[in-house]
Amino acid sequence: MTRTYPYLSQQWRDEAEKRLSTELPPERMNFVTSSMSNIYRNCPPDGSEKYLFFQFVDGKFVEIQVGTGQPPKAEFSISGDYQTFAKITRGELGAQKALMTMKLKLKGNMVKALKLASLADRLNKVLATIPTEY
Amino acid sequence: MTHHTNTNDPYFIDFPGRIKEIQAEMGTRNIDLYLGSRLRTLSWTADAFCPWRSFVVIPAEGLPTVFTFVIDAARVADDSWLGEDNVMGFAPMGGQDQIEQISEFILENLKNGRGRIGVESGMSNYLPEGWLTHYEYSQFQAALSGCELVNAHTIIDKLALIKDEGTINRFREASRIVDVGHQAVFEAIRDGGYKKMTETEIAGIAALAMRRAGSEWEWSFTGGNEIASGYRTGFAGGACTPASRRALQAGEPLMVDIHAMFKLGLGDHSHNYLMAPVTDRQWWHANNFVDIVTKTLETYRADMTPSLIAEKMMGFAEERGFADYMVPGFEHGIGMAGDEWRIGLNDGPFPYWTNPDHVYRENELLICAMQYACPEEGIGFRYENPIIIHSDHCEPLSKFPLGVDEIK
Repeated sequence: MTRTYPYLSQQWRDEAEKRLSTELPPERMNFVTSSMSNIYRNCPPDGSEKYLFFQFVDGKFVEIQVGTGQPPKAEFSISGDYQTFAKITRGELGAQKALMTMKLKLKGNMVKALKLASLADRLNKVLATIPTEY
Repeated sequence: MTHHTNTNDPYFIDFPGRIKEIQAEMGTRNIDLYLGSRLRTLSWTADAFCPWRSFVVIPAEGLPTVFTFVIDAARVADDSWLGEDNVMGFAPMGGQDQIEQISEFILENLKNGRGRIGVESGMSNYLPEGWLTHYEYSQFQAALSGCELVNAHTIIDKLALIKDEGTINRFREASRIVDVGHQAVFEAIRDGGYKKMTETEIAGIAALAMRRAGSEWEWSFTGGNEIASGYRTGFAGGACTPASRRALQAGEPLMVDIHAMFKLGLGDHSHNYLMAPVTDRQWWHANNFVDIVTKTLETYRADMTPSLIAEKMMGFAEERGFADYMVPGFEHGIGMAGDEWRIGLNDGPFPYWTNPDHVYRENELLICAMQYACPEEGIGFRYENPIIIHSDHCEPLSKFPLGVDEIK
């Protein structure tokens, strides 16, 4: 039986780091240096707020954090409902569509964000492969 | 780009200095932040052509930030003296639409999210002016509930009135390019070359020559290069003739009013022709026109006013018996791209129209503009030329020889 990981748990984070480091080497991340926070609102079971923070330097993941409360300062932050992120991670909703229908809110320089859009898609596709309990 | 950093570059403009002047003026008016939306304001502060809806946010201290449609933001950042961190793109995405993005940015730049914000509200005959719309005003006011929005466009209008050397040099170069366009048109139409040509073709010949000489575009919103032939030169009071498909014909007048842009400096010069055979009556009109242009150019200088010029010139036209054919206006305002309408400040008897008693000062730049029109005879002529006001004379920037040329 395949092991599953509770979404946004420490175990899920460790698995994410393992898969991202293996499947997205610096050249697949275009050697980019940036940082990004996903802010999850209305997380089950108590409606709390959680975050998932990534930092990459020259295309290498140097920090991945999950936590509650205020996330570390990032170049971009994407905020939305927990269920919206869950749908994106399960491949049921595209991140672009979620942004264009205001289900997600992006903060940061849009021009720079455009350059990172394909990288964010790659990253989401890897996260979607993690067997996850929502 | 050297014109942003090299003070010896002839086209250098001290943009950080301009921003500091705006901030000083904001301080005297108790304005905590300026939200500019007019095309002229964007050109004057960012040194980039912003054809899409754009805004510039100028905080009390530090650099301004431009917000434009995301598809053009990278290009604007590349053209502007501001770097990519100070040019933001907006798009229809959560958190990225212009109202939310700019409002949040403003709130981050105000102490406790409160303060007085200068905005640009007014009216203009120039359609792409870019005043804040009623909808935008309402949306910003709702998003910035702790702030007071106050009309403050006169800060920019006042500071932009007298032109610095870099701006004037950009206009000089744009005018040189316009003269290249006029020469190309002349070469193309002379010795019967005009036969079977249309107005649009004349516009294109001028455009190609000016682009080859470095013009960025035929900037005028009146249709780029304005060309009129035959009866179209003589519309009553008319001074707007986008080129049509009308073919040029013998025995008719031709008016060529072309526009070039160089680093947001604007060239705008009209030249007039008569296609042979030319009647005595046509020459009478043509000579009247050349004489009044000559006299007008001799009259412009510092301390004159639009009404004084009009009075003198209409008096001259009356004496000579052609006052019925003169449009009684002799200028329009000009500045970096987007600044093309009213002369001076908004301080005349009719709000947002030229103050007839505006007193010209040295290093003001305007378009000396005259329209001669006799609709009943299907003839008219136009003169436009950027002029610099000096203490005792004016300096026309286009040097193409004044005259009405007969084309055989």
